[in-house]
Amino acid sequence: MAVRGVEIGVPAGARPRARGWVVLARFAQKKPLGAAGGVLILVMLLTAIFADVLQTHDPIATDAAATLAGLSAEHWLGTDHLGRDIYSRIVHGARVSLIVGVASTLLGSVLGGIIGLLSGYAGGTTDLVTQRILDILQGLPLLVLALVMSAALGPAIHNVIIAISIPIIPRAARVIRSSVLSIREMQYIEAARSLGLQHLRIAFRHILPNTIGPFIVLCTAQLGSAILVEATLSYLGLGVPEPYPSWGRMLSVSAAEYAQKAPHLVLFPGIAISLAVFGSNLLGDALRDTLDPRLRGS
Amino acid sequence: MSRARFALFSIIPLALAAAFVGPGTSQSQSQTPKSGGVLNMMLREELSQGFSIHETSTISTVWPAMPCLNNLVLFDPLKKTESVDTIIGELAEKWSWQDNYRNLVFFLRKGVKWHDGQPFTSKDVKFTFDMLREAPDAPAKLRINPRKDWYANIEAIETPDTHTAVFRLKKPQPSLLLMLASGYTPVYAAHVPPAEYRTNCVGTGPFKLKEWRKGEYVEFVKNPDYFVKGRPHLDGLKYFVIVERGTRQAAIQAGKLDVSFPGETTKTAAEQLKKAVPQLVITPFSQNVADNIIMNIKKPPFDNLKVRLAVSHAIDRRALIQAVHQGGAVVGAALAPKPWGFWGLAEKDLLGLPGYGAKAAEEKALARKLVAEAGFSREKPLKVEIVTRAIAVYVDMASFVINELKQVGIEATLKQIETAQWHAMATRGDYQIGANLTGVGPDDPDANYYENYACGSPRNYSQYCNEEVMKMFDAQSQELDPKKRLALNAAIQKKLEADAARPILDWKLDYFTVWPHVKNLIPHQSIYNFGRMQEVWSDK
Repeated sequence: MAVRGVEIGVPAGARPRARGWVVLARFAQKKPLGAAGGVLILVMLLTAIFADVLQTHDPIATDAAATLAGLSAEHWLGTDHLGRDIYSRIVHGARVSLIVGVASTLLGSVLGGIIGLLSGYAGGTTDLVTQRILDILQGLPLLVLALVMSAALGPAIHNVIIAISIPIIPRAARVIRSSVLSIREMQYIEAARSLGLQHLRIAFRHILPNTIGPFIVLCTAQLGSAILVEATLSYLGLGVPEPYPSWGRMLSVSAAEYAQKAPHLVLFPGIAISLAVFGSNLLGDALRDTLDPRLRGS
Repeated sequence: MSRARFALFSIIPLALAAAFVGPGTSQSQSQTPKSGGVLNMMLREELSQGFSIHETSTISTVWPAMPCLNNLVLFDPLKKTESVDTIIGELAEKWSWQDNYRNLVFFLRKGVKWHDGQPFTSKDVKFTFDMLREAPDAPAKLRINPRKDWYANIEAIETPDTHTAVFRLKKPQPSLLLMLASGYTPVYAAHVPPAEYRTNCVGTGPFKLKEWRKGEYVEFVKNPDYFVKGRPHLDGLKYFVIVERGTRQAAIQAGKLDVSFPGETTKTAAEQLKKAVPQLVITPFSQNVADNIIMNIKKPPFDNLKVRLAVSHAIDRRALIQAVHQGGAVVGAALAPKPWGFWGLAEKDLLGLPGYGAKAAEEKALARKLVAEAGFSREKPLKVEIVTRAIAVYVDMASFVINELKQVGIEATLKQIETAQWHAMATRGDYQIGANLTGVGPDDPDANYYENYACGSPRNYSQYCNEEVMKMFDAQSQELDPKKRLALNAAIQKKLEADAARPILDWKLDYFTVWPHVKNLIPHQSIYNFGRMQEVWSDK
């Protein structure tokens, strides 16, 4: 589906539909790094879904007899300063990171996409005003805006999602608008207008589906940033509140204090964050190369 | 009881506590102090109430504000133990109890000047303490007055001349002098609006405020007109705000800072520091700060004694000490236990109290039973929101407590509150249950009870009020026989735990860390009383 999405204006059914696994195999063959990124994200996804099964301990259960314990058969990745099992916390942290990452990316991208679609399609003053507002929003770095939002809303998972999604809106709007600007000039859109179709129908039925390629690339590219921002917010105490595990929070405060004595406190959450962001970026880059006609084959 | 006897009575336990204060203090009183130098210190957060010690309840303000102010009397900065016998005069040159502890007369120093050049007189003393006790004719009022009840027994303050002040009491109260010797009891200038202390510091103290750059640092310079000749030794002090605990630790390890923040160095952190920099001087001492649970008695479900007791039974104190403090705390009730404090209950007396049982499983079973009796079940679980201050030491404790409550069927979520809002929120009772730290200025029953458990006290966050217990507070306060007073205090502490007024989880120790060139900075048995810095010098 993703491959067809960028073939703007080509009627459905013009080519025989390839099977999903064949598409994936071709993608893996052409973009092995992208495929590796996809595997990392898939592993993260499965870890998040099956966290309750994969955990070896309750992630919030403290154990006074095993504080700062090293790696062992009982605690695979050791314990933190309160005796909580780090492996189980990382497994559950994947859930938090993924929920926040995916939800904020989708929320920001969908809202931004709709704004970009309507702004680009309407053009004129509407477009001008909308773009200036987006300019203001985009002028603030993702992290700074998320920090302000999170500090204002307070530390809770839904607030973190909102805080991260808002800075994504202008980026998504820009990307979708740029596609819309070219698509709306195409002949089939003109034909649709000539037939007397309503503007909203043209925008959502005939233009939007053809922006799906850039949209997917945008989402995968933003996912890594969202995971990183969530980790940063948690690290700064503005993310998911204790005692529930979040990779960023696992790196913060007490972990930093005990890092010399028990380096595993910061090592494993750090690796988890790195792999998730790395995987998301690899996948995003590969999808962009595959779906963007200008970069295809480069 | 004679004053001497009372003094003896107070000093014995403190000497015991002193014996437990570990070796390796940086103090070298035999050396001749050198003049000059600036110490770089740390702050764990911004000064939320500026320098207004009377409006604060946190060491975050007291520690950096003490060098610019003075008390009438103070616990001797050079002595580890705090007792009536280690009290020295500051703005009061001498003092005298009269009429069997009913009148306390202070003879004030002459020639003392405020930092703005105005003379210090008895008018300043009357102004300060009339404001604190909220006398009807008080010329000023504080926005928040957390220790109002420390001064509830003062009937009047008379100033027969410019250098004499007489505190007339409603009933005998020897403890008043100890409360006046705390770092929480500076004298404010009568000619300065109290609100100004939130942004500026006009004191008589050994250091004058040079600059407060919010969120960055507070800088003091030596007060050349200080009334103690030859003091302070240092040219200045600079307190840097470093919020992140690991960064603070790294800064002291690297020698960027000279002194740790009182109450913020855990046992494990101290071990790490000592391993990394063996020459660092680490002194274990009692913070006089207790981890505790505050439950709003005015609101369901904690208006139900069974629920409060369930919470108390659920929390394994000994496991908390191991997990959260790595052994750097001791079990105790409302008052700090021996040898760190004097009045606290002994281990054997604690065993029978809710939550203090030696077998944690039995305590938890009892907690589950109480939760069930209160009408909650697996299908209808008790859900609560725990509030705590957004500081690592609070959050760690709250995280532990949440897990303990989960095991007895209480589902808790955590909400972190910034310091600027924390005390106001707790005073308003705008919470259900909280993971709290309570620090008491001096190790004294009156200071603790009237501040934290008395009906109507702003710091009585649980809003616990029991007239029978209030009578017990007053009885022990007036009791001059040491054995009888000790027995009364034991009974009070048992009653407070039985009522789950504010279940005490542990009394924390600190591992105060300084570089060896820092001399005469001696931790006491409370973090609130040794920040004056007038005797501190640098051997660099």
